[in-house]
Amino acid sequence: MVEEAAQEVFLKAFTQLASYEGRGSMEGWLTKIATNTCLNMVRGAKRRPEQTAADLTENENEWLDEKLSSVANAQHRSAERDLIAADLADRVLGVLSPEDRLALTMIDGDDATIKEVAEVTGWSESKVKVRAFRARRKVREAMEKLIGVKKQQEVDLRTAGD
Amino acid sequence: MNNSHIIDILDNAALAELTETQLASVRNHVDACPSCAESYHAAVLTSQVMHARVAVQVEPSPFFATTVLARIREQQPDNLPAMLRLWRSARYLVSSMALATAALAVLSFVVPGPAVGSSEPATTAYSAESVILGDEDELSYEQVLSTIYPEVEEAKEK
Repeated sequence: MVEEAAQEVFLKAFTQLASYEGRGSMEGWLTKIATNTCLNMVRGAKRRPEQTAADLTENENEWLDEKLSSVANAQHRSAERDLIAADLADRVLGVLSPEDRLALTMIDGDDATIKEVAEVTGWSESKVKVRAFRARRKVREAMEKLIGVKKQQEVDLRTAGD
Repeated sequence: MNNSHIIDILDNAALAELTETQLASVRNHVDACPSCAESYHAAVLTSQVMHARVAVQVEPSPFFATTVLARIREQQPDNLPAMLRLWRSARYLVSSMALATAALAVLSFVVPGPAVGSSEPATTAYSAESVILGDEDELSYEQVLSTIYPEVEEAKEK
């Protein structure tokens, strides 16, 4: 999907090159095209229902276990673990609308400022703030729910073992 | 500090954006409040997975550029008449062929060749038959003269 999006961005940049008036930077112009393209693609994709621990893959379960049992440390960090974390992020972000998802990914993931997001998306700064706030809350609640279910599963397993 | 306040701080900005004062107050509260501790833990995990999501780099496939160029070609306007499209694709071949033909024609007319079709009278020409049969030895003196100087012969006849 990433490569598909990149192709689309290059194609749009080529066909819309005449519309670039040279007022802003070329990078900014390309970022706008990329943002709109990705937003449209996410809009086109089906939104995921809220995730539960049962929906997670074995790797994602393991990653959460490590984090929850505080075993995770520097030696557990690897590219593979990061990929699992990224998959988990996709799952959690799936509960958001494409717009909220974009705002949160740019601000919390990419460390973009509210102003930068506003410039790229064309939304007002207050709208970006509201979207990010709402998205952060939803995602945190979804993660909390996952953690709660995981903990409950552990308790159940221990009880069954006794 | 009540629970809702901590949660507002957590949701209001990314964890990395929180000031030292805000972080200190969150940690102090979390130590005493298990409910907020869970929220804080979830926020920390969310922040980690978000950064991991953004850090993922995808290498393009080896055919990426080819695919993009092919798609660009597909998108270009294709409303030209068939003859014009044919001409565009074959124009270099056709023009080079025309040039070669013209060059050959010029060479044929300009470069001098052996003289053909001279204005010698038919009577003075030696036929192939006479050469093969060796009749030339029997030519009379007058015939040889008339062959060499046809104008003298014509003047005599007049």
